[in-house]
Amino acid sequence: MKIAVYSGNIPSTTFIENLINNLSSTGIKILLFGKKFREVKYNENVEILDTPDSGPALLFFIVKESFKSLFRNPALYSKALSKIFSSDKGIKNNLKELGMILPIINNEPDIFHIQWGKTLQKNPYLFELLSCRFALSLRGAHINYSPLNDKALAESYKMYFPLIDGFHAVSEAISKEAQKYGADSKKIKVIYSGVSNEFQNTKAPIKSDNSEIIKIISIGRYHWKKGYHYALDAMKMLIKNGIEFKYTIVAQGEVPEEILFMLDDDAELKSRVELKSGIPHDMLMKELSGSDILILPSVEEGIANVVLESMALGIPVICTDCGGMNEAITDGVEGFIVRVREPQMLAEKITELSKMKDELKEKIIFNAQNKIKEKFSNENLKKGFEDFYVSILNR
Amino acid sequence: MRIGLVLPEAPQYSETFFNLKIKGLKESGFDVILFTGNKNKKISDLEIRSAYPVKQGNIFSQVIMFVYVILQSFLFSPKRSFNLFRFEFKDGKNFNESIKSVYFNAHIISQDIDILHFGFTTMALRRENTAKSIGALMSVSLRGYDINIYPLKNPGCYKKVWENTDKVHSISEYLRSKAVRYGLSENTPYKKITPAVDPDKFPLAELRKNISSPRILTVGRLNWIKNYETAISAMKLLSDDGVNFEYTIVGDGPETERLKFAVYQYNLGDKIIFAGKKSHEEVKELMNKADIYLQPSFEEGFCVSVLEAQAVGLMCIVSDAEGLKENVIDGETGWVVPKRDFQTFKNKITEITDMSYVNRKKISDNARSRVVKDFKAEDQKKYFKEFFETMTKKP
Repeated sequence: MKIAVYSGNIPSTTFIENLINNLSSTGIKILLFGKKFREVKYNENVEILDTPDSGPALLFFIVKESFKSLFRNPALYSKALSKIFSSDKGIKNNLKELGMILPIINNEPDIFHIQWGKTLQKNPYLFELLSCRFALSLRGAHINYSPLNDKALAESYKMYFPLIDGFHAVSEAISKEAQKYGADSKKIKVIYSGVSNEFQNTKAPIKSDNSEIIKIISIGRYHWKKGYHYALDAMKMLIKNGIEFKYTIVAQGEVPEEILFMLDDDAELKSRVELKSGIPHDMLMKELSGSDILILPSVEEGIANVVLESMALGIPVICTDCGGMNEAITDGVEGFIVRVREPQMLAEKITELSKMKDELKEKIIFNAQNKIKEKFSNENLKKGFEDFYVSILNR
Repeated sequence: MRIGLVLPEAPQYSETFFNLKIKGLKESGFDVILFTGNKNKKISDLEIRSAYPVKQGNIFSQVIMFVYVILQSFLFSPKRSFNLFRFEFKDGKNFNESIKSVYFNAHIISQDIDILHFGFTTMALRRENTAKSIGALMSVSLRGYDINIYPLKNPGCYKKVWENTDKVHSISEYLRSKAVRYGLSENTPYKKITPAVDPDKFPLAELRKNISSPRILTVGRLNWIKNYETAISAMKLLSDDGVNFEYTIVGDGPETERLKFAVYQYNLGDKIIFAGKKSHEEVKELMNKADIYLQPSFEEGFCVSVLEAQAVGLMCIVSDAEGLKENVIDGETGWVVPKRDFQTFKNKITEITDMSYVNRKKISDNARSRVVKDFKAEDQKKYFKEFFETMTKKP
């Protein structure tokens, strides 16, 4: 089985890299296409077929791949040329696209697995040039809100979803969203992300001293969908209620003006909040293990990995009820769930959790860790994708 | 007396504030010359000088342009060019940067003016020594963006501006006090001159007898500082109460996707309308039909839209952003509620829809007469005349 994984970038996001590593460890052959940003080490089942970005390297690459293509299937090659050069994106972009498509047709994967919905709109000719099966992953923003404000994108989903042979959904919730754009429910398989063993094998000690300052943490890039402004509202309420805490946001990217404003506007809040820019993975684990509560104040998620990782580590979680979060947590069982956009509820839950008896807390942590083992292991992920691909090929 | 007014671009038809101001100054007997960032259509009977282009065209034409402008500047305004170069160099800029400053300011220093006024504080950046080098007085206007947003990511950016400014114009007390917090000297003379509204252009609207199904309106760019999310959450609560309402948001901007998602998430698509950007006439029309005007902003310099809504006699509910507290008198011309507190926003809306016609009429009349009395264009003209006439060199 030869699977082409296409996300555009090599290496890709953490969860796509995790997918690649898990799949290749089961013996599935993976072909990676796209633009390579830096060297990545994969096992022998992964083949990188990256396209140079521009310049003579790109031209040379195109010539080389063109020879291969002409030799293998001249009719397809000329079709590719006419498809690509008939678009009016300009010669430079046409060449880039040609450089992207040629290695894919030359390597004939069994399944072309597209990682992002927006790719469909950008590269519609893929369906005409490749005779293989198509799989699409349904992830976060691309399904949940981008098409709301982008009519053309929504139209492209309606047009191309019927051509997809199998959808991978990261949660039940996103599967439902995708069906609104015409994804066939029979073709959708929910496969949850897997939490790596390093999180599962480490256990954070349970903090029991209630007199201490509560250490609250959030992790995730800066973006409005992460709802950090709501978290800060909740922190203001904690201050008002005389609760002692420290709130740390670990996030990549530039701090948004909105967050800077809220801190600048309230000196008391500012003194209790620390912003840390993205830190390396092992440091992140340390940071997380040193915290009492992880909060996820998002308004939208596919399913947040950081919540799953916290659950595995034994850090109690309070998250908002968005995307697939309630597929990981039932309120009061494996953690806590509050409504989106309601900082008041978030503040109340933080207070409640901080006063909770150790036995109860331990019980919740125990449940959370079991849930991860059962539902969010890499073993499930591997098994899920194997079945997914086989079912697509047998369709 | 000749005043040089520095603006990002020549004011368009809709920018009443600047048009009024320029017109007012000319009527007061000042000679006005406008300095703008980029080339604009000529406004009748106004002299405009545009800045020389930066990074436009190929490198060759850029070099030619640069050498031409610098030679011209040093040839025809040798003393001023040299002064500017010297001041910039003394401020710690290197040779290249100082020469670039001369290029950047060449369109201004060639002119004989008595006062150089920056219509926005941000316009004075990289022009801190310009007035001094031509022996003119320097004044700046403080506006919302200058003080509330720009310094968040550029702390300390106005240090040199404050040092060289002889007089400050602020559209609210609040902006001036925040500028002081950001380093403006308490001793720098300042004058608060609020925006003005032409009451004839915004005539009093007929109040509806029954507003149990209210028509609610907000006008402004869709950016984070306007904090539309609070209004949308308030609408959710209103909808939960079974109130039949229509909320129209006029404007476009970077947060469109975020706000459309909030509306989608709350399932309020049939009650909340994103009207997009509208002309002045269309806004007037919408205000005429509305019952309640909301302004939930994080912060405002002053907010002309709220002033216009009061002129029309709408029931205005605004957040307790500092600028808005100067704009609306709580309980008299409208209502002021805590920012980001959507529950209170909603309660206020309910309170107003329950109010008798007579009581609403009282507020409406108060609001109208205060705008007519205290925010006259005639007064503004007078204040600006005074502002410039009484200006002296800062000791």
